[in-house]
Formats: sequence, structure tokens, C-alpha cells
Amino acid sequence: MKKILQLALGIITSVGGFLEVGSVTTAAQSGALFGYQLLWAILLGTLCLIFLVEMSGRLAAVSKHTVVDAMRERFGFPFFFIVLVGIVLVAFMVLVAELGGIGFGIQILTGVGFPWWAVPVSLLVWLLMWKGTFSLIENGASLLGLVTLSFLVSALKLHPDWSGVTSALLPSMPGSDKAKYGFLAVSILGASISPYLMYFYSSGAIEDEWDSSYIPINRFIAGFGMIFGGVLSMAVLVVAALALQPKGIQVDTFPQAALMMTTALPRWGFYLFAFSMIFACFGAALEVSLAIAYFFSQGFGWRWSEDLEPSKNSRFAFVYTVIVLLAAIPLVFGIDPIKVTMMSMALTSFTLPLAIVPFLLLMNDPIYLGKYRNGWISNSVVSIVVVISFVLALISIPLEIMGG
Amino acid sequence: MPAKRFFLLTILFAAACKPPTPAEQMDTVVSWVSTARMAGDAWLRHTTPDKYTSQTLQLSDQMLLQTGSELLKSPPPTIDSAAFDRALTSTRFNISEMSRFVKAKDASQFRQPWDSVLIYMKIMKDFSDKVESSK
Amino acid sequence: MDLVRDVLDKKLIDREECEMGRVSGLLMHVGETSQPRITHILIGGPTLWNRLHPAFGRMSAALGKLWGPSRSGAVRIPWSRVETVGKEVKLDVEARETGALDWEIWFAKHIIERIPGGGSEEEE
Repeated sequence: MKKILQLALGIITSVGGFLEVGSVTTAAQSGALFGYQLLWAILLGTLCLIFLVEMSGRLAAVSKHTVVDAMRERFGFPFFFIVLVGIVLVAFMVLVAELGGIGFGIQILTGVGFPWWAVPVSLLVWLLMWKGTFSLIENGASLLGLVTLSFLVSALKLHPDWSGVTSALLPSMPGSDKAKYGFLAVSILGASISPYLMYFYSSGAIEDEWDSSYIPINRFIAGFGMIFGGVLSMAVLVVAALALQPKGIQVDTFPQAALMMTTALPRWGFYLFAFSMIFACFGAALEVSLAIAYFFSQGFGWRWSEDLEPSKNSRFAFVYTVIVLLAAIPLVFGIDPIKVTMMSMALTSFTLPLAIVPFLLLMNDPIYLGKYRNGWISNSVVSIVVVISFVLALISIPLEIMGG
Repeated sequence: MPAKRFFLLTILFAAACKPPTPAEQMDTVVSWVSTARMAGDAWLRHTTPDKYTSQTLQLSDQMLLQTGSELLKSPPPTIDSAAFDRALTSTRFNISEMSRFVKAKDASQFRQPWDSVLIYMKIMKDFSDKVESSK
Repeated sequence: MDLVRDVLDKKLIDREECEMGRVSGLLMHVGETSQPRITHILIGGPTLWNRLHPAFGRMSAALGKLWGPSRSGAVRIPWSRVETVGKEVKLDVEARETGALDWEIWFAKHIIERIPGGGSEEEE
């Protein structure tokens, strides 16, 4: 029973790491511009993520090491530090985007602009980490995150053309606007395969005291959780494709995205969108801030646990406190959360090799995993997707900048 | 790694400065007129808050002004720029009327500009098609 | 034992399983006649940052003088205190007494305990 309850870890990892401001924005933009055509990118991202999450859980269960522990030990301090700088910079941008997403959700409900919400929201996220326990965050966020199921309901109510949906699961070239298409594909992959998610999940497995008896359930949680997030992202894309694209509405701003469920769910669509955004981004903001604090603490060997009183792991608490408050600053100055989101998602794809290559090496290391090390399927799926994302990022980010 | 950081910063700045093409600008115009229409539709069905609706309408007006004037700085040869300017002004007038009636919570008066926006949506779509076909 | 693989960068725990950082460096004694042998484990401070670049090491040393706990420099633990080397390196010491937790305590006392709800670092 305890193990079944661990599904919450899968769902929060998924809602927080997957269905958040990044996925909603990139999926909505893609649907609004290219119809179903970019569904394949979500599928590819989900597939890769299932493997990555499963691996990080397996590493924690077998070796009692989190991904970051193992990375520091195996590759030494200088390499660890380079990864730290890259990952933390991008994760920080993601955090800014998530706080912006929450602020925006409140903005459309109240009419008061998101810059005003940046500080209160960041304080609330901080308070939850300060006072809350890991299981409160885990279960609370995953329970609230269930409101995002409304995207799926909307998608089904709009009666998508299933043959169109299934054929879009294979990549195809667009008729025009190739640069934008490539950039969106990269952003979707970046939004799906977020490295901070592995750090969060493997730390969660340690917080929840997994051992190797959790390996089968870990596989199930990773699969179920990430498919949950993937299907919901696809639903967002489908809703945007059916409700916004025919009208020529692009998603350049959040108020436009907010209209997408009003066709399928006339009565509640608007409010469901606002609450989905608020809860999903809230989960993600918690997850990213904790992941950054875990990264520092594990890398430097400090005491860390979300269940301890802050002063019992003062450096861990200090990191998330500083990070979450700093992230509010750009928003107070009115930085456009949608721009931050798009840029951080594309940059994530760009930094993926930095996070994933050492991780794959670890997953094949008998010292850590013994007989539980990776098989060729996991290795090839992850390597292929990472190469695809990186190459796409390399081509399309400059193209997007030069205006195609 | 200063080189890499420099590269990232360049990306960030460049992405913010990239100028859109006329076809993209026309798509943006259509998108905002359509947004105003859809927001109006949702408001008439009492499914969105007044504040959100009036703010979105104002945003749409503002974006139309901005995109439209940028477009008119170097108008694409395939469209009659004076006609486009007139259409844009009328569209914006109707959208600000909508916004005014939302604030006054006057649904019956709201319908008239809301209906007009539908017509202008089609007009803008035609302009957009002309720019698109000239590529 | 492969020192770089098995000891360097491993997490250190004390008698009470309390985390006390990671192995940042190892100190060796090279005698004229005797075999070289490891005398101390080094934790944190300039030793760690030196591995990145000597400039970082100097920066860390300078910062440590301006700010933070009074004891600065890397913490040295005699190799004879090493109990076991496995997933972690277990030491037969009291973490607090070694100085390895100085920064942890400093952050707790100066920042975290001053924020409401931060609790107290000392009470069990």
C-alpha cells in the first residue's frame, strides 16, 4: 500500500516537471500555429522522459545515491561545477517562468497584473518549503494538479479527428515557417525533458526511502506519471489546434491562451484554465526550487531533507530561500513570462547533453548499479532523443533569431 | 566557460530584437482581432470575468495599434495601405467600444461593436491573404 | 583502494551518521626514506576551489576571511580516524568538533534561525 501511494511522487514529478507553464505554452503555441503537426515532439519527449525518470529512480533505489551524489563522486568537482552552473542557470529561468505562470493565472481571475503577484507568490512557494514536509508537497501538489485533467476533457469534447492525431505522431515537415516549426519542436522537447525533474525524482526516492524492492513499482510510477503528463500536454495541443487555430489566434500572450477551453467547456473552461495554470505552475515552482537546493546540497555533501526543520539543514534552506526570492525580481520589473518560458525551454534542449551524458555513463556503471544497470534499449532511446534535441536546438535557435 | 555564456546572452538579446516579416505582422493583426471577438463571445455567455475581458480587449487594441503602425512604416506593396489603415482604425474603435460596454456591463450595447469586429476580422483576413500570396 | 575513485569526493559522515561535507582533497606525507602515505582528509574551503582553478582558491580564501565563520581554511581530519570506506566515508569523529559544520552552523545562526519558523539548530 505504501508503495502504491508513491504514485503521488510520479504524479507530482509529472505535473510539476511536465505539465507546467513550459508545456502549456509550447503546446498551445504549436497547436495554434501548426494544428496537430507537432504532436510527435511531445511523444518523443515523453518517451525519453519515461526512461530518464525510471533510471533516476532506479539509481536511487539501488545505490542510495541521487543523480547528483553520483555525478560528483564519479566525475569529480570541476566537472560537477560546470554542470551545476549550466543546470542552475536554466532551472532558474524556468522558475521565473513558473512564478510568472502562477501570477498570470491570478491575474486573469482578479484583473490585477502579474508583477504585483510575483512577490506574494514567491513567498507562498517559499513558505510551503519552509514549513511543509516532503509528503505534504508531494501529495498536495499532485492532488491539486489533477485539475489539469480538464485539458483532456476539453480535447475529447472537441471531437478531434483521430486519424489526424495519430498521423501527427510521426514527424513531418511543415509547408511554411520551417524555422518557427523547428524552434517550437525544440521548445517542446525542452519543456518535456527537464533535467531538474530527474534530480527532483531521485531525491524524492531517497526522501521516501526506496530500496531495490521498489524497482518494479518505480518502472510503473515513471511510466504512469510521465504518460499522464504527456497525454495532458498533447491534450493542450489538441485543444489549441481545434479552438484557436481555425480562428487564427496565436498564443503570444497568456490572455489568449486563457480562451482555449471556453469553446469546449463554455461554463467552466476559463476558470479551469486559470486554476490548471496556477496549480500546475505551483507544483513546478516547488519542484524546481527544491531541485536546485538538492543539487547544491548533494553536490557539496551538506545535510538535506525537506522533512527537517530549516535550521537543521541551514545551507539547504538558504539555497531555496535565496533562489525563490531572486526569481521574483525579474517579474516585478515586468519581464514577459511567455518570452522567458520559450527561451528557457529552448535552452534546456541545448543544455541536455551536459546533464544527460554523464547520467547515462553512471547508469552503465556496475559500481553503482551492479546487475541493475541499463540495458541497450534505455541507452539507445535516451541517446537518440538527446542527440535529436541538441541538433534541432543547434539549427533552430539561430534560425529563430535570424528570423528564418 | 565565458564563450558559452556569451553565446547564451547573445541568443537572449537577439531573440528579443528579431524583426517580424510583414506576413507575420499580418498574422498577428488577424490573431488579435480574432482574440477580441472570442473574448467578447465568452463574455456574452457570462463565462469570463469583466476585468479579464476588458483588459484583454484593451491589450488587443494596443497590440493592433503597435503592429499596425509598424506594418505601415513599410507597407507591403500588395495591399492598399490607406484602406488598411482605415480598416485598422475602425477595428480598434469597435474593440475599444466593446471594452467600454464591458466596463458598463451593458451586454445589449456590446453586441453592435462585437458584430462589427466579426466583419473586420474577415477584412483583415483578406489583407493577410494578399500579403501571404505576394511572398 | 583507488583513492580517486573510492575516497575523493565521497560524502563524509561522523559517528552519528551526520553529514559533514565531501572529501575535497587528501594530504600526503612523502618522507625521505619511508613510503608516501596519506595523513589527512581535507574538507571544503580553498582546497576544493583550487581544484577548479587557483584563482577560485584565492577568491574562496579571501571571501572566507571577510565573511562566515571565524575558522577558515580547509578542515583536516587525520586519516587514522577513517572507520570505513564504502558508499560514504565514515569517520570516528564528532562532526561539530572538527569544524566541518562551521558553515552549516554559521548559516543557521546568522540567517535561518532569524527567520520565523526556522527553528533552532541546537535543540534535538
